[in-house]
Amino acid sequence: MIVKPETMTFAGKKVRILIAGFPGIGKTTLALSAPKPLYIDVDLSAERINREILNLAVGVTQPRDYAELRKDLGMDCNEMELQAVRANLADFETIVIDTGGKLLTIMGQYGRVIEPKYGQKDGSLSLKGYGWLGKEFQRFMDNIIYRLDKNIVIVFHTVEDKDGDDTKLRIKAEGGAKNAVWEVMDLGGFMEMRGNQRTIGFSNCERYFAKGTRGIHGVYTIPELEPGEPNDFLTKLFAKYNEVSAKEAARAAAERAAYDEAMTAGYQVIATIVDADTANAAIPKMKAIKHALTSEKELAVAFNGQIKNLSLFYDKVLKEYTPAPEGK
Amino acid sequence: MERYLMTHSLLSSWLYAIQESPYEDATSTRDSFAEFLQVLRREPTQTTEAMQNGIDFEDLVTAIVRQDAAGMKKNPEWFDAAGRIANIVRGASLQHRARKTVEVYGMNFVLYGRLDALKAGTIYDVKYSGSYERGKFFNSTQHPMYFELVPEANDFVYLISNGKEVYQEHYRRDEVADITVIVGDFVLWLTENGLLEIYKQHWKAL
Repeated sequence: MIVKPETMTFAGKKVRILIAGFPGIGKTTLALSAPKPLYIDVDLSAERINREILNLAVGVTQPRDYAELRKDLGMDCNEMELQAVRANLADFETIVIDTGGKLLTIMGQYGRVIEPKYGQKDGSLSLKGYGWLGKEFQRFMDNIIYRLDKNIVIVFHTVEDKDGDDTKLRIKAEGGAKNAVWEVMDLGGFMEMRGNQRTIGFSNCERYFAKGTRGIHGVYTIPELEPGEPNDFLTKLFAKYNEVSAKEAARAAAERAAYDEAMTAGYQVIATIVDADTANAAIPKMKAIKHALTSEKELAVAFNGQIKNLSLFYDKVLKEYTPAPEGK
Repeated sequence: MERYLMTHSLLSSWLYAIQESPYEDATSTRDSFAEFLQVLRREPTQTTEAMQNGIDFEDLVTAIVRQDAAGMKKNPEWFDAAGRIANIVRGASLQHRARKTVEVYGMNFVLYGRLDALKAGTIYDVKYSGSYERGKFFNSTQHPMYFELVPEANDFVYLISNGKEVYQEHYRRDEVADITVIVGDFVLWLTENGLLEIYKQHWKAL
């Protein structure tokens, strides 16, 4: 259905979030604070997780390989099969992947099976394989968001990377797939201990390059859970994200509408300029335009381009455009 | 009062030079420092393969936007990636020149930049990078400089490609350093290292 941009609200949008951090910092607990989580234990480490934490999940699955995971999530299935998958997943609002690094590994293994060219003799992925991996990861995420209509929380371990004198935190993932992972995320935060408090940072800084959008920026303290307290940090964060999204979308739509109006008006005036007289007549009309965003600067370039095309010259004494003097 | 030209490239060259010389030793004979002095004296510098790739890739994007048939035939292996970037910047003001005078430590500087694309409050910069790692441009002086040049812009997006993939690195105005502070540090450094006069001699704004 096609709608006008200004009528789009983005309320209730499904959220894609990446959580990165060192082992033991509480990534899984945080991931399971999302609404109604299905915990996909790609790492096969559920037995190492405290039972109290595991019980936070509404459901758990441990796929043997990527082919099984694809099937469980209804990738490449027809509409009838998809209905069955949706019914099977009806109790869940969020798909939690733990860990994303392991997901990429089993994805790569699957890729090498379906297309030998994606692998190399030493078992690693070829350049083509990495290209496929990035695209498959995007398909995987798109399937969860658009076909299954679920939030996604994807957990990554963090590694330290030396950059000159600085130490940067990066997600632990296979080669070129690291960048592709971030491209499809709405939010990405790094968990760290600050003093004795667990935090998650969504703004870029010297230590890491995170991803914050729609009002989710800066460093958040993750509250310690007391007995009986709900584990709902991400549930609240998603609600805030959607609330801010709706407000930002409304503001952006208003700005964009004003910008489009200014640009349309400006181009209409510029189109009337065919000689010095029409250029001079255009000046007050251009000045009368109510600008928004960068419309004034963009239209100034377009206006000057038209003046140049017509070889007009601005006479600073007469303060008007005239045909260029002979020889200019 | 005299005014002096200040570009992102000059600041970038300086930051690279002092990064290579961690103790900011102006007597260093490292290449990066020699390269910076070359830039400071506005001597022509050699175009490296990486620089040429950047120029060629950007030209291809521009050719696709402008439907320039001859330009679109060059580097066909990049066409798909360049096309995706062209779709983003289509309709923008391309190669948009911007300048602004600011005063730092009693000196007037004309900040100058040529934006790859400007559209609806967003500044775009096209990069070709064979070894891109997310966050690569975090310390760049380009987005702080361009935000200062275009106060109406709220977002800056690097559109990065290795010729196959396309990545975006997005910066908001409120998370970016103030370029005048960096310019101030540069002036202090030039003064302390006896290079301010060379700068004044070669970067006088007309």
